[in-house]
Amino acid sequence: MTAYDPCSHCEEVMQPFMDRVLTDVERSEAEAHLEECSYCRKRYRFEANLRQFVRQAVAVEPIPVELKQKLRELRTPLQ
Amino acid sequence: MGETTQEPDARQIATEARDRVRFEEEALALSDQVYRVARHLVGSREEAEDLMQETYARAFRSWRSFQPGTNLRAWLLRILTNLNIDRGRRQQRAPDMQPLEEGDYFLYNKLEASGDGVTDEEHVVERLSQNDVVAALSEVPHDFRDVVVLVDIGDFTYADAAQILDIPIGTVMSRLHRGRRILKQAMAESAVGDEAA
Repeated sequence: MTAYDPCSHCEEVMQPFMDRVLTDVERSEAEAHLEECSYCRKRYRFEANLRQFVRQAVAVEPIPVELKQKLRELRTPLQ
Repeated sequence: MGETTQEPDARQIATEARDRVRFEEEALALSDQVYRVARHLVGSREEAEDLMQETYARAFRSWRSFQPGTNLRAWLLRILTNLNIDRGRRQQRAPDMQPLEEGDYFLYNKLEASGDGVTDEEHVVERLSQNDVVAALSEVPHDFRDVVVLVDIGDFTYADAAQILDIPIGTVMSRLHRGRRILKQAMAESAVGDEAA
């Protein structure tokens, strides 16, 4: 049996924490640890920045105008 | 008497036509967002454009099966992913489950260790380029990438992603967990080099 490592635990719950799917108790525990641990806090901020960065990096060009027009033409004609 | 029985029918037809037009306009208003996700779910721009047209054609035909008040964007993407599978472009298969040893802090630790003393988390992320991210995402196997794209890029909930991909929510969570780690490992390799492997 290995000793409980709060930073390893924080690393494990980091993504669910950011996804806001932890229980209230788990969330409070994670927040309390992040409050007191600069090692994990730094990595938490990095993860938050990373998500934003990934989202921006993979942003594709907007839907082509011609495609949008083709989709409009698929609508049911009014009687 | 005949007129009184026809009146509700006329009203019903008018109501249905109005609901249908509203549905079509709402679906079209989402086309930008659906396309953005679709571009990452399928291989090429051409495939994405074909699937968008097939998706909207089917959605407009079967608009009555959409339940108002539920997530229309998720409903459209469910159609799109089903059509994609029907076309044989994607095969539903059990993902390769080789263990990944690296944890969630792996990418930060790699970038920090390889940096020239820059440990500020705001600047560490800037050591990644747009190409690093795009290349890394393309390396994530489809089953994992679909979930990462839907949740992290499309902003869908776990439940919506489960509905779109027709998999249990627990599978969404495990694929997301693994997909994000594969993505990070690929980004580390791209940004730092082989030493990240």
